[in-house]
Amino acid sequence: MENKLSVRDLRVSFRTTNGKVQAVRGISFDLAKGETLAIVGESGSGKSVTSKAILGIQAANAITESGEIIYDGKDLLKISEEDFHKIRGDKISMIFQDPMSSLNPIVKIGKQLTEAMILKGKARQKESRANFNTYLKNLDKRTGEALGDEAKKAKFSKQCKDFDTFEFRHVKLEGEFNRAKEAAVEGSEDIELLAFELEKNAAKDVTFRVNTICSRAKASLHEYVVAHDKAEELMSLAESVKKAAPAAAKGGDTAAITADLNKMKAIFDDAIAKPAPDFFRMGYYIVFSGKSLPDMPVPQMNEELLRYLDDNFMKEFISSAEKGIRRSADVSYEKMERAIAVLKEKRSVFERESLDKKEAYAAHKAMTSAVEATIDHLKLVKDSFSYTFGPSVKSELERYFGAISKNAEAIRRHDKQQRKYDRLVEKGKTPDWKVAEASITDMELVKANIIHIIDRLAEHYAELLAERKNRDYAAETIAAIDYLKENATGVAAKVTKRIAKDRAIKLMDEVGIAEPRKRYNQYPFEFSGGMRQRIVIAIALAANPDILICDEPTTALDVTIQAQILELINKLKKERDLSIIFITHDLGVVANMADRVAVMYAGKIVEYGTAEEIFYDPRHPYTWALLSSMPDLDTKEKLESIPGTPPNMIYPPKGDAFAARNKYAMQIDFEAQPPLFRVTDTHYAATWLLHPDAPKIERPKIISERIERMKEKRGESK
Amino acid sequence: MSEKEVLLDVQHLGMYFGSGAGALRAVDDVSFQIRRGEVFGLVGESGCGKTTTGRTIIRLYNASSGSVYFDGVRIVAGTASYYEEIDSVREKLKKGEIDKASADKRIAELKEEIASAKRDHKAAKKDLVTQIQMIFQDPIASLNPRMTVREIIAEGLIIRGEKDKKVIDEKVYEMLELVGLVREHASRYPHEFSGGQRQRIGIARAVIMNPELLIADEPVSALDVSIQAQVINLLNELRERLGLTILFIAHDLSVVKYFSDRIGVMYFGKMVEMASSDELFAHPIHPYTRSLLSAIPLPDPIYEKSRKRIVYNPLAEHDYSAQKPTFREIIPGHFVSCNDAEEAKYRKEFNL
Repeated sequence: MENKLSVRDLRVSFRTTNGKVQAVRGISFDLAKGETLAIVGESGSGKSVTSKAILGIQAANAITESGEIIYDGKDLLKISEEDFHKIRGDKISMIFQDPMSSLNPIVKIGKQLTEAMILKGKARQKESRANFNTYLKNLDKRTGEALGDEAKKAKFSKQCKDFDTFEFRHVKLEGEFNRAKEAAVEGSEDIELLAFELEKNAAKDVTFRVNTICSRAKASLHEYVVAHDKAEELMSLAESVKKAAPAAAKGGDTAAITADLNKMKAIFDDAIAKPAPDFFRMGYYIVFSGKSLPDMPVPQMNEELLRYLDDNFMKEFISSAEKGIRRSADVSYEKMERAIAVLKEKRSVFERESLDKKEAYAAHKAMTSAVEATIDHLKLVKDSFSYTFGPSVKSELERYFGAISKNAEAIRRHDKQQRKYDRLVEKGKTPDWKVAEASITDMELVKANIIHIIDRLAEHYAELLAERKNRDYAAETIAAIDYLKENATGVAAKVTKRIAKDRAIKLMDEVGIAEPRKRYNQYPFEFSGGMRQRIVIAIALAANPDILICDEPTTALDVTIQAQILELINKLKKERDLSIIFITHDLGVVANMADRVAVMYAGKIVEYGTAEEIFYDPRHPYTWALLSSMPDLDTKEKLESIPGTPPNMIYPPKGDAFAARNKYAMQIDFEAQPPLFRVTDTHYAATWLLHPDAPKIERPKIISERIERMKEKRGESK
Repeated sequence: MSEKEVLLDVQHLGMYFGSGAGALRAVDDVSFQIRRGEVFGLVGESGCGKTTTGRTIIRLYNASSGSVYFDGVRIVAGTASYYEEIDSVREKLKKGEIDKASADKRIAELKEEIASAKRDHKAAKKDLVTQIQMIFQDPIASLNPRMTVREIIAEGLIIRGEKDKKVIDEKVYEMLELVGLVREHASRYPHEFSGGQRQRIGIARAVIMNPELLIADEPVSALDVSIQAQVINLLNELRERLGLTILFIAHDLSVVKYFSDRIGVMYFGKMVEMASSDELFAHPIHPYTRSLLSAIPLPDPIYEKSRKRIVYNPLAEHDYSAQKPTFREIIPGHFVSCNDAEEAKYRKEFNL
């Protein structure tokens, strides 16, 4: 599966007056597209620090010691703040624990919801246009090279231009159709609700709602939605309903209005059920055939249009484009072979005792240009290793040469402090402060990092070259055309103030805020905690992000609302193929949301696996403790609480950090940190209990019993 | 109705914010009883009035109507309902539906009721504070940061008139040990403690008064999982050792189920269902309870992926145009808010 985000060996510390707090100590994980990864752990385990590092919003005293966070071909730890603006909140969005801190107290909710939509709308239009143009240009260039023949080359260039023309025509047509259809769907839904409430005598704002329905009816008039024959009937119904509305609102007779509304609903429902024409093909037909559309029912017309498009354009375009993509890949593979040679050659520069500044930077430059040449611009999934190579090596080099002077300074300061301390001790005083350890950058480690980066890239290229034969160029071509279509849609999707408001109100309704129209004009202090959290969720979702980070979003909400919000997030995840990082300590919620689970303790991942593996076959004692400390609906026995508190991370324990609170701890747990032991290909746990020499220990009874009970229950329900 | 004596009897309790037709009925005609030594759970979504109920019982709010009897003594007496009835009697008299003599008699009776309610209300003030104690949701906000733990815990004792410093200290140490802290903690300040320890201090402060009834308002919601278990275990232990009666207010249903003997479900200020906890979870009757139960997430991924939430829509579920619902006993010990038609339907569903 495609990886959206990968975190590698991330280490984050905080500088405090008492010393360096090691909050995150080398964690690595991948997040695939459309997947939910849950991070579970107590407060202080480093969950939130990790998520903040991903968003680049760490506290001022945080130090990122090492690691990489790779997203879309960029290392988020190394890019500039300027570049981060394009990602934060737009591509990667976050829902915070405390809603009040993420809302502006003096700006109305409506403004806060729509502000980003409007700003980002413009930016997105520009970006989509740029994507579309660059890709088409690259495609044209590579295909031209592949075809060779001048005439063929010119023909393909013309085809690219044609594609540009009719593609945008298609987007316009489709946009009109979608708006009309959406209006019909909403109209139908509104009527259903209103009719139901009228029947129960509990309808509010009848006049306003009827007016909305009428305007929806007007918006739904379209050749392929509510067509000519029905349009007149619908509008006359709308007129009569409008007239009857004020009387019905005052509690008068509702039978007539309900009957008319139901007639309107029938028209809407018919329109919704109609098949949609294929606008992509229609766009080409309209632009290039010079004829009017064939007069036949939609399904036949679609086929006719398909035939026309394929014969005149598509088949040839695809076969040419495939050649172009293949050519581009071939060039890239050639350059890879060259790049491997360069990497091997320059590696020796970084193996020396101490690096020469000039030489090192020259080597970096040579390598970077070799690596950048390998980048295949027609490949949709960006090869993050090639993209991040240059900046990664550069930042390591800067650290190395910067450390030469910084280390000396740190040692000087430490010695000074030590002398002062000693003087005080000599005088017979006991100072109430301790000498802080000198924060020295390990030069050897930096060098090792650079060599590791080089080796890894060379290995990666070797792998790619080995897999060369297995690439499916036909599928890649289809994906490329979809990519072009998608970006064309992005260009046409203009967000005006009105559209933003409509969307915001719809979102507010979706996240379960009653009377969104009224609430739209209120300030944050007028909302209760749960309501505020929903607003925050709505804002995060409004940007339509790629990755959503949820930091305990439902902890403060009650079950029904929590269930609604989780359903909402799950629904959006499915619709938009969203990747989610879900941070929580409620294991019930984790079971609901997560595809994979990572359990964190004291800044390390102690166990990770799929949700099923973690819940039905947990292996780490800390996971056991977490599972057994929460009651479920059938728990009767005493809960097993975890004794003590998490360790002080200024002085992290030498061995397994959980050893002191672990009743299954062995001698070795206090002496050495356990590596991640493999349980299955997807399931790993860092505990010495999994070592082949360890005594066999059964997991606690309370968990085994619960798993048995769950199995039984499922057996019954089946 | 039961073998054990009733400790707290809440009758038709109402708490309205604002007045007249626009009043917000945060708690509306809620009745329940808690027996001695029992844990009674109160659940419902946020804003449904469960916290207000707890606070009205301990008289942090002045009840609008209804009464609360604690150990047989009326401690809360609201008067709004009597005034309303006087108004309605006068209205009827105007319309000529009743004669003057009976109206006057009724009004005199009601006025007597009001007077007695006010008397009781005044008289109950003193004892109440020591007999009923409360634990609050947020341990950080509910402890004064400028007082040491000793001062916080001993405050109640001093207010009650205890002057001997030795006695106070002894009592404080005893409480600290009871809740799993040590003597040395007495001279520290709240910020020096972790969340779970702070909640323990809150519990010690409540328990030192030797209360009969403990009102625990979401005591574990603000705590970490591992700490939650510690606090629940502590409350369970205290309950066994001291024979406490607890009114447990929470929205985490798994915890309520685990901890409570009986559970009341509230929805928009009204009690909609009340039963023993096993009974309630095995046979939920009211559609709102069913919806609530269907929303609980469980640590079981396969079950969770297939769990379907039931949506509760009061308009679609109930038809109260003909008859308003009342609180009725469908099965012995299992109360549901319903009207005649619904009662028949529910009984049929359970083959009664």
